[in-house]
Amino acid sequence: MNRTKAIGIALTSVLLGGGALALAGYSLASATPHQTAQKCVPNPTKVGHCTLTISSYPDSLAGGHGKDGGAHPDWVSYLNQDLSVPANTVVDMVVNQYDGGEVLNNIFFDQVMGTIGNVAKYDGVTLSKVAPDHVGHTFTLRGYPGLNGQSGKRIFLNVPLIANEGENAVKIGSGEYPKPVVIEFSFKVGSKGVYQWNCEYPCGSSRVGQFGFAMASYGYMAGTLTVE
Amino acid sequence: MTNSNDNKKSLKSFYWLWAILTALGIAVSLYAPGYLMPESMSQTMHLSVLTMVVFSVAAAPVAAGVYAAALYILRNWTHKGDSVPAAGPAFRESGKVVITWTLTSVLLTVFLLIWGLGALAADSAGSTANPLVVKVVGQQWVWSFEYQGQNGTTVMSNDLYLPKGREVLFHVTSLDVTHGFWAPQMGTQVDANDETITDLHVTPNKLGTFDVRCTQFCGLNHAFMVTQGHVLTPSAFTTWLNAQPARS
Repeated sequence: MNRTKAIGIALTSVLLGGGALALAGYSLASATPHQTAQKCVPNPTKVGHCTLTISSYPDSLAGGHGKDGGAHPDWVSYLNQDLSVPANTVVDMVVNQYDGGEVLNNIFFDQVMGTIGNVAKYDGVTLSKVAPDHVGHTFTLRGYPGLNGQSGKRIFLNVPLIANEGENAVKIGSGEYPKPVVIEFSFKVGSKGVYQWNCEYPCGSSRVGQFGFAMASYGYMAGTLTVE
Repeated sequence: MTNSNDNKKSLKSFYWLWAILTALGIAVSLYAPGYLMPESMSQTMHLSVLTMVVFSVAAAPVAAGVYAAALYILRNWTHKGDSVPAAGPAFRESGKVVITWTLTSVLLTVFLLIWGLGALAADSAGSTANPLVVKVVGQQWVWSFEYQGQNGTTVMSNDLYLPKGREVLFHVTSLDVTHGFWAPQMGTQVDANDETITDLHVTPNKLGTFDVRCTQFCGLNHAFMVTQGHVLTPSAFTTWLNAQPARS
């Protein structure tokens, strides 16, 4: 093999390899979320506020994962995982909690943190913390300036969701659930950024710390909140 | 075949190349850490950076020798054509070369050992009788920190607050999988293991904020298992601690 041919093959290999890497990087960077983000609805009566309503279920039968709960109908789930809110607004959030629960593995998460006033309303009652042995899930949201190039402010928010011990009373999708515990809280967001949220109540089972399955998969107990 | 004068003349270019690359390596060793390493906020981190600089400077002539030899050989001894080149004299037959590189390797290794032991001894962490005890809890995918508050109560926080100038004893643990507790500016890193407490000492010596990250791939949101640390004056730290709600 002459030198020119060898150099040509080497250069072609490098270019093809670099091209493959660039293509993979571009595909990952432009990948769309696994679901359409649920948008925060502007509140016509409160300037600068929007309302976001999500729900937590003991299974995946409520409709978000397709007919009869999709691939894992018995996995606990939030109905919507990817959330979208406008920049520089106050997000008034409502969580309908349909699931039961037991004991947190870390009492740090029995406290409401990062909301306006560090409180939340539970069926209309304002609380700053709940009993750590009576928690169903948590909505724990966090973001750190600099990650993913985000410029928004740093957020650490935790709202424990009280365990729902009611009898089944409503049918949603192909599931039956008790009347929900309604949890309301508000928090401020700054400029653009992507934040991560997940549940910190160990509800995933079958792995160390009960953080497997639903807890370890996007689309069930974890998602993103995009400020745009 | 080349004569002795040709060899000496030819080797001169190798020595020049070696010297230039060594100078370049030393310059990079001295100045690059300032740009690449996190700000030092403890004696532990200071010693880590210093050790890296000294080891890099010590390694510069060795690395430069390798690169210079490679470049020199590529430039002067490249064989052209399809025939198999004749074997040259082997280095191992030169007593001077063998003795030189063996002695150099031994001396460098002994130097690294002595420096490492000295640096460990100089880091006085763990010597204080009354350190501030902070329990560090990692769980997928959040850090939480527990302090002893007033009247035996427990104070918890997602941010890590430390007083300047006081030794801190971390009790590091995990509630699920293995995490890695890493505070880059403090120069400290240790695994957080389930049902195990691992001790780690550090004495912050500079006010400001620092990063806390997880260094063990721990699942879905590992990349986002980050939080902030804050080094406060002792009085500001006491004020912060007393202002936190008691947890038990």
